[in-house]
Amino acid sequence: MRAQSLATQYAPSLRLVAAHFALGIVGFVAFSFALFFRAAFVHGHFFQPQILGLVHLCVLGWLLPITLGALHQLIPVVFEAKVRSERAPWIALALYVVGASGFVAQLWSFSFGDGFVGSAALLVLALYLYLGNLAATLWHGAARTLTGACVIAAFLYLSVAAGLGFALALHLHAPYLSIDHLRLLRVHAHVAGFGFFGLLIMGVSYRLLEMFLIAYVKREDAGWFALAAVNVSLAALVGYHLLAPSSRLLTVSVIAAVLGIGAFLVQVSRIYRARMRKRTDLPWRHTAASFSYLVVAAVIAVIMASMRLDSAVEERLQLAYGFVALPGFIGSVIVGQLHKILPFLVWFHRYSHYVGLREVPAASELLAVSPQRVQWFLMHGGIAVVALGLLLGQGALRTCGAGLLLASSLLFARNMWTVYRSHP
Amino acid sequence: MTDAELAAQVDLALRDVPDPETGINIVDMGLVCAIVADAATQSVTLTVTFTTPACPAGAAILAGIERRLKRVAGIESVDLQLSFEPPWTPERISEAGRTELGWEPPESKADAWRMPGTR
Repeated sequence: MRAQSLATQYAPSLRLVAAHFALGIVGFVAFSFALFFRAAFVHGHFFQPQILGLVHLCVLGWLLPITLGALHQLIPVVFEAKVRSERAPWIALALYVVGASGFVAQLWSFSFGDGFVGSAALLVLALYLYLGNLAATLWHGAARTLTGACVIAAFLYLSVAAGLGFALALHLHAPYLSIDHLRLLRVHAHVAGFGFFGLLIMGVSYRLLEMFLIAYVKREDAGWFALAAVNVSLAALVGYHLLAPSSRLLTVSVIAAVLGIGAFLVQVSRIYRARMRKRTDLPWRHTAASFSYLVVAAVIAVIMASMRLDSAVEERLQLAYGFVALPGFIGSVIVGQLHKILPFLVWFHRYSHYVGLREVPAASELLAVSPQRVQWFLMHGGIAVVALGLLLGQGALRTCGAGLLLASSLLFARNMWTVYRSHP
Repeated sequence: MTDAELAAQVDLALRDVPDPETGINIVDMGLVCAIVADAATQSVTLTVTFTTPACPAGAAILAGIERRLKRVAGIESVDLQLSFEPPWTPERISEAGRTELGWEPPESKADAWRMPGTR
């Protein structure tokens, strides 16, 4: 029997992955809560304490912990290699919790003292510890695939984004940069959002969507093109902001981004059309909504790059762009995939031992459909209303949408808790 | 008991082992490639496959098969062989499995089962 060749034996403990998921779920609730109470004030230029605090609460509190947890489960499957160390991510998680919470709290109040720099240093140390451990895992991995290439590129972008973030934190503490720090902030945001999260979502989607929709697509040219285009887009954007602010570079960046997103969606549509499971479920609908937010973000980017806009309009577009990209595109796909990953993990660790001995439910049966459906409507209703409120500059709309998002985060937490607590 | 009768019992027992993602049993999913039963020696050699070599549920399915077959009367030993040659294809899914996956049934005998989106 060749069971030894199976990727599952490489998976880390459920506790490690679940701890990251738990932190991310708490972060989602905290972000929604903070947004609900401060939504009326989210307007104007993005460089202000509470907007930067909210953005980093969203990314560091919600999106990144769940992503890191999922990576520790997915890397062994994708690369057929055991996670190099299981102790390192526990240490990194401890550093991360202290660093991220201190960093967000001080960013919220624009307190750039020693505590701010110390928190940023802990955060960056934690991220490099995660990355080092995962990179060592990749190094010993056997598989070299489209997904693997996207994941490796995403890791490189995360390391750059963390370094740029720390450089910005030092500058805010004691100014030393000769370049405009807002330009560096834009590069940091795009390297993290599009380079790390974007490429990671693209790469992992090719594998997970095939797995969950039961589809097999051999043709990957669109996926490889998307990877190349995103790299070109980011290189041009870095050049535009840090080397030569030529509008040509910005045009190249936007065109490459649009082409990359288009190619990614072509690859996804191939998978969708080849699926053997006709009935799509709610996790897939979260993912589909996420990809539509990606298109909306791209449209806003094209408008901002190609039109001369009134500064008030541009500020509103920038906020809507960030919101649709972060909680919209990245948050939705994370929530959708967690509805698949956590039930499977719980099934694998708690139910699989009973297969062959008695009837066991399928992983998808660990959570009823109706609370998932309500959560879907609350979340996407909330995202749409907040985005509209940001675009129109309407505080009441933003608060209303944030209320829906808060309700969705609480229901999401309840749903995941239900799954985690389920036993045979 | 003949070899064929023992093989039929094994086939029936394997229908209790589900694919955790779809909930469809492994026989209807087409994961069972061959059953060789020897009633005289009370042994069974089973060749199985997965929808992908990196199937995250693979180990759980194999362990489930062993547990289920040990409960079948008349079986003393089980030899599990894992094979990816030829690789699993959707054509291996039974009609019952296709129905559960939401495939469109043939409209006439001349038609074949249609995978979604291939109309």
